[in-house]
Amino acid sequence: MRTTEQLTRIFGQEAADRVSTARLLVVGAGGIGCELLKDLSMSGFQHIEAVDLDTIDLSNLNRQFLFQRRHIKRPKAEVAIQAIRDFNPGIDAHARQANIKEPTFDVDWFAQFDLVLNALDNLDARRHVNAMCLAAHVPLIESGTAGYLGQVTVIGDGTECFECQPKAAERKTFPICTIRSTPSAPIHCIVWAKNYLFAQLFGERLDEDEDMAAEADADNMEELEQLREESRALANLADAMGSPEFARVVFDKVFSSDIARLLSMPDMWEHRQPPTQLHYDEMEATSSDASTSPATHTALSMADAFALFKHTAARLAQRLTSGDAGALAFDKDDDDALHFVAATASLRSYVFGIEQTSIFETKAMAGNIIPAIATTNAVVAGMMVTQAIMVVSGQLPRCHTAYVAYNSKRSRCVLSEPLAAPNPRCSVCRRRYLTLRVADLSRTTLGDVVDYLHMLAETENSLHLGEDISVVEGSRILYDLDFEDNMPKSLEELGLGRGKMITVAREDFEDDLPIAATIPVVLSIAGPQAADDSPDLDIEGFELIPEFAPLPPPVADETAPDADQLHFADDDVAVVVGDSDDEYAPLGHEENVDNISDELAKRKLCDFGARYESPVKRRAVATDDETTISD
Amino acid sequence: MSQQNGVISKEEETLYDRQIRLWGMEAQNRLRKSSILFIGVKTVTLEACKNLVLGGIGRLSIYDPQPITNLDLETQYYFNESHVGQPKDKVLAEKLAVLNPLVDIRAVSSLDIAGVDLVVNIGHSTGGWRQKGVKSMLADAFGLFGYIFVDCLDAHEYIEEGRVRDAKTGESEVVRSSKVAAYKSFEESVAAKVSGGNAVRLARKYSPLVFVCQALATMDEQVPDGELSQFIKTALAQRDLPPGFVGDELVSRVEASWGTEFVPSASVVGATLAQEALKIITLKDMPANNWFTYDGLVSEGITCTL
Repeated sequence: MRTTEQLTRIFGQEAADRVSTARLLVVGAGGIGCELLKDLSMSGFQHIEAVDLDTIDLSNLNRQFLFQRRHIKRPKAEVAIQAIRDFNPGIDAHARQANIKEPTFDVDWFAQFDLVLNALDNLDARRHVNAMCLAAHVPLIESGTAGYLGQVTVIGDGTECFECQPKAAERKTFPICTIRSTPSAPIHCIVWAKNYLFAQLFGERLDEDEDMAAEADADNMEELEQLREESRALANLADAMGSPEFARVVFDKVFSSDIARLLSMPDMWEHRQPPTQLHYDEMEATSSDASTSPATHTALSMADAFALFKHTAARLAQRLTSGDAGALAFDKDDDDALHFVAATASLRSYVFGIEQTSIFETKAMAGNIIPAIATTNAVVAGMMVTQAIMVVSGQLPRCHTAYVAYNSKRSRCVLSEPLAAPNPRCSVCRRRYLTLRVADLSRTTLGDVVDYLHMLAETENSLHLGEDISVVEGSRILYDLDFEDNMPKSLEELGLGRGKMITVAREDFEDDLPIAATIPVVLSIAGPQAADDSPDLDIEGFELIPEFAPLPPPVADETAPDADQLHFADDDVAVVVGDSDDEYAPLGHEENVDNISDELAKRKLCDFGARYESPVKRRAVATDDETTISD
Repeated sequence: MSQQNGVISKEEETLYDRQIRLWGMEAQNRLRKSSILFIGVKTVTLEACKNLVLGGIGRLSIYDPQPITNLDLETQYYFNESHVGQPKDKVLAEKLAVLNPLVDIRAVSSLDIAGVDLVVNIGHSTGGWRQKGVKSMLADAFGLFGYIFVDCLDAHEYIEEGRVRDAKTGESEVVRSSKVAAYKSFEESVAAKVSGGNAVRLARKYSPLVFVCQALATMDEQVPDGELSQFIKTALAQRDLPPGFVGDELVSRVEASWGTEFVPSASVVGATLAQEALKIITLKDMPANNWFTYDGLVSEGITCTL
């Protein structure tokens, strides 16, 4: 065990003692996680648990320094924990290769920690851990980096939670007609190639493509129906897989007959450049050797794109027909899949007269790659651990929200501001969190829970529930006065396992109701306290329900979401990036910071995937001008 | 294995993918042909070197024949009991080699600067680099604090990229421009006359910590315990600063931190040092001109010209 004489000198004996006994959870053992685990294990922390689902990849090794080539494909959490055991033998450190959203990690599990540190790469998991920490009353240190930019903040009693400021969706959606009929930018062609063509031919066929927001109105009903027909026809082509004609039938369909159909609608091209129909035989006459080693940093020529398309279509078809896999999922690190998408996106760009992108650029767009470097992660992790020491030694109010900026002209490259107070209208932290203990999830019905709540409301003054209540999980309505279908169903049948949260809200509002009565109650589902004589159902945590101040009148600001919107805010806006393996969610794409002079506003921020709006209304703008691909 | 010659391989491209997407292939190519010399091994050295090796510099030379002590083991995570008494540079070079087999890492027995692009002194300056025409940095991290001084000589040429938006089309494009920056020598900086008037105006230009760090960087020999505050105050008195500009609270916190190492702050300073070194080597973006100071208690890192 490493001694901590120097730590004691800096922070004092009491803080050093608290550090040595504190139990920490680290969620994520990637870019920030590796730095974090190193700093924690070398700063006197002795009880650490790390959770990460991921395995190690070559492209991680430029920053995730606890991993080496020999660890590729091994679980990140396990290798990282072994590495810090080597740094500090005797440390009580454990790894779990798991998704933090698994039911095992319920409110009781979270409650065993004194502090949780997030080193995550997606909004969905960040939201989940935020809610679990609120439910378990455990402070949370949240972090993120994107290229040169980074951010750290501390969430605890009396501070803003992760959801207090609205977050922009991580992933952009496109109108279905733009993708399928009238593309005008490279990204439209890439989305088409990846989410439509690749998915329909080789993937799990989807009726509704989640990337495309199908917005039906009177004007485009007919076109949407045509597109549906087109999708079905394409999916049927998959039957030709394995035949030597496969590439030809696919090509004829998507680059020839589908284009001919579009050209037959002159209205569509009145104000747009009409597409150019391609012909397989003409393309066949061109020659290229791009099929084996295509240039990655320059745009594919039409001949190269055609050759690469034929080659990869055949290879993917062969993999599907000969392998056990029923479907392929797009993976940016799978060269066949990436090259197929790059080639077909390129061909489509030629058809529509759109600027070409290289395979390198296509990979970033299709794979949602966020640049990541060791240095930013190290700065962020260092700040997190300093704040962790302050939190466990009882000094949370002295912590900061801190930002890492990058600009040679700016005087502050690491800057901070005091933690903000909670947004009184936050739909997540301005809730009363209780624990719902259920002995047998397959026996207890939703009706049992509702009855129990009504019964409790009569005796438990702080519950304040009236006759008319609603029960929801995220945006799913489970029960209200007009919807009793789920009452006889067990929690298990309803998918309400451990770790899930349901929100109970009073629906009969009267003017003179005490403020606490109008605040919904969130019940975190957990197992029984003791196995033997525990009741079937129990609700705990009334003593932890905070006193709520009356809600201030709404601010005349259109950015402040109103209470109605907030009610089911959870899942409505969350679009999760599934395949990014990086530390951060993407930044916004503002390009115009030149005319903002205030330094705090001008600083580059990345707010966990959204533009950050500080509580004092200093509007900060996230830009991506230095994260531009420049070669 | 060395990567100093030839073009970037497919494997390197995959390994460095996430950073090439940030600083570009040209910068990565400069990086892989670069050579950096570090003098002095402390926790901040581990941190800075670790980041540079991960990023894929060409050659890293380390000089510090001092033996590893028991106190070093508290924070210098690459060292363990079995290394106590061994030369710091030798053990560190061995440990770092595991991180990236493409980088040529060596412990050196003399301060030979043939082919070296950048010299980094940790703790105190061994001096004379400017006269030899070599760019240099001086850095230290102690307790919660740290500083970096950058000397890129009289004319450091670099490329800056910015997006310019076409007013008509609304489309933006990346524009590269060549620029030149002049840097002061350490001696000039320490003797520089501070202008700016009262404390409020001065605070816009300088962090109070930078004057404290300058004083520490010029310290010739170890100040006895309990006398550091006085030493700093005496040095500050010669700078003609407005009264109260450097608060007593800051000076006493610095005294408490002096002589200690704290990994989280060393990590912040070491990473900033590595990033500035990358700017110097890749000739992309202006390296900090010329001081950076960090205070971990308030999470503040400030650059200023002095």
